[in-house]
Amino acid sequence: MIPSEQGTAAKPTSKYRSQLRIYVDIMRVIQRENNEAKPTRILYGANLSHDRLVKYLEELRALEVIQEGGTEDKIYSLTQKGIEFMNNFRRVESFASAFGFKI
Amino acid sequence: MVAPSWFFGFDSLMEFIAFAIALAVAHQALKGYKLSKEKTLLYLNLSFVLLGAGLLIDGLANLVIVLARFHRAFLFLSPLGYTMNFVAQVLAYGLLVFAYIEQTRNVNIQIAMAAAPLLLFEHNAVTELILIFLLVYISAQTAINYSMNKTTNALLVFGAFASLAMSHLFFLLFTLAPVFFPFAHVAQLFGFLLLLAMLFRVNSPS
Repeated sequence: MIPSEQGTAAKPTSKYRSQLRIYVDIMRVIQRENNEAKPTRILYGANLSHDRLVKYLEELRALEVIQEGGTEDKIYSLTQKGIEFMNNFRRVESFASAFGFKI
Repeated sequence: MVAPSWFFGFDSLMEFIAFAIALAVAHQALKGYKLSKEKTLLYLNLSFVLLGAGLLIDGLANLVIVLARFHRAFLFLSPLGYTMNFVAQVLAYGLLVFAYIEQTRNVNIQIAMAAAPLLLFEHNAVTELILIFLLVYISAQTAINYSMNKTTNALLVFGAFASLAMSHLFFLLFTLAPVFFPFAHVAQLFGFLLLLAMLFRVNSPS
């Protein structure tokens, strides 16, 4: 289970993204890059500063939803747990969106 | 006003089917809430739990009356079931309206809980008008959502609430003529079946 930021889930009018939304954005970039994304790609794709990217990648690794690979350059990919989480999130997002709710 | 006799029993059956669908929607909303901690999904869950409970109580009350062969001792169950279903629906749709208002305005107000009714209601124009008012608001919100998203799922949800609003319009007309009673139940069931179709689509592997 990936936690969302306590009581600060993003509203459409909010300019801040929830922690969950940032996690999902990062994981979406990795998926879009055929499950092999370099940090620079994730940084631009998820629109994060370097410091925040490092922090979130570390948190996602601790949650075992992404893994680090590569020899010279770091490459990140989704684990099986990460793929399952993204599938579940897509269902929830689709369900909420059908009612007009954003998550 | 008494419903057509040939329809007795069918209304309960339709309400039991709608109850099962309402619970499925509530379950999906709860799963979403557990994953995202988004409060609007919790409101959606509570809303459909209330809808389901109301449908179950009303369905059971009417079924008991049919099984008791309309014995006078059990006739009080009809207004009791209707009243409990009405209160559950007002709370459920009120909660949904609150969720839409909270999402669009980001306000945090306490939900005004309806006072426990002292009288039991039969089908009447005032109770149905309250439900129609709430459902028209929710239908408008889901129509706006569909106009922006243009997804089949959003269309199904809009269709569901529009159909539920239509069902209460038929219940309102039933207070004038019994012939509208079956139409009301069919429209209500159709609304829940549209929600079921949306659930299947959401959970189908893409």
